[in-house]
Amino acid sequence: MKKMLSLFALVTVAALFTGCASGPKYSAIHSTFPPIAQDSGRIYFYRDSMLGAAISPPVKLNGNPVGTAQAQGFFYVDRPPGNYTVETSTEVTRRLSLMLDSNQTRYVKLNISMGFFVGHVYPELVENAIGEKEIIDCKYTGGK
Amino acid sequence: MKRKSIGETMPNKTIGLLGLALAGMFLAGCMFDVSHANLQPVSFAAATGPAQSFVLNQNVEAKLGTGFPTRLNVLTRWHQVGTTEYGDVFATKDQIVTVEASNIYEAQLVISNRCITGFYLPVDMKFVPAAHPIPIETKSVN
Repeated sequence: MKKMLSLFALVTVAALFTGCASGPKYSAIHSTFPPIAQDSGRIYFYRDSMLGAAISPPVKLNGNPVGTAQAQGFFYVDRPPGNYTVETSTEVTRRLSLMLDSNQTRYVKLNISMGFFVGHVYPELVENAIGEKEIIDCKYTGGK
Repeated sequence: MKRKSIGETMPNKTIGLLGLALAGMFLAGCMFDVSHANLQPVSFAAATGPAQSFVLNQNVEAKLGTGFPTRLNVLTRWHQVGTTEYGDVFATKDQIVTVEASNIYEAQLVISNRCITGFYLPVDMKFVPAAHPIPIETKSVN
């Protein structure tokens, strides 16, 4: 019985950590990122929660994959000013529409909520002050 | 040896309860996707003349019938960016404004006769009406 319990605990821990990001932390790497080009804006995508770590759907920006919603991970893209739609799909598709200005930085938090068979990952636009704080311990996944 | 069927090993009440729980879970699963914003077609014209600006004198909770009200903060400064048939459209840099349902849309405020009539969605080019017009207190600024 003891052996069974240990095995169960091991499997649980392994399942918990599967899918977690493993790159360098934002706090350690962000100073090495290039400055935003004059005619661009930057969008950070981050998922600070470990909940549902095994679920890491691709993140699409205007229909094109730009990265993965990995637990405790982050990535960024630089894009020209304009209108954008962020999309994540598990058993349902969740969308976020946002505007990006020149030289503007935006933070998109990738949240997880309960689903029927699997959790739903939904993108949410957050205030920069919140995004800057919550992203600090996330690990760089390098985008697409 | 004859295997026992579920009916023999489980009382009918338990099976009923299990069925009910499964049905509940299924319905709950369906409910995840039923919050829709009431997106209306709208014609938007960008502001051309001198932009009107104001400061909001109160916190506002705008209900849109989605279950997720949009909150506007006191002392945020708004400037006119355009006009629609539902009212003038204002944007702010002091807070993020979104209309939230199953999907989330960045939004701008629509005001007519000192009442919030709804929100303009610049990416989708649609209008989402407020559940009812919301009178607001503002202070004009130049």
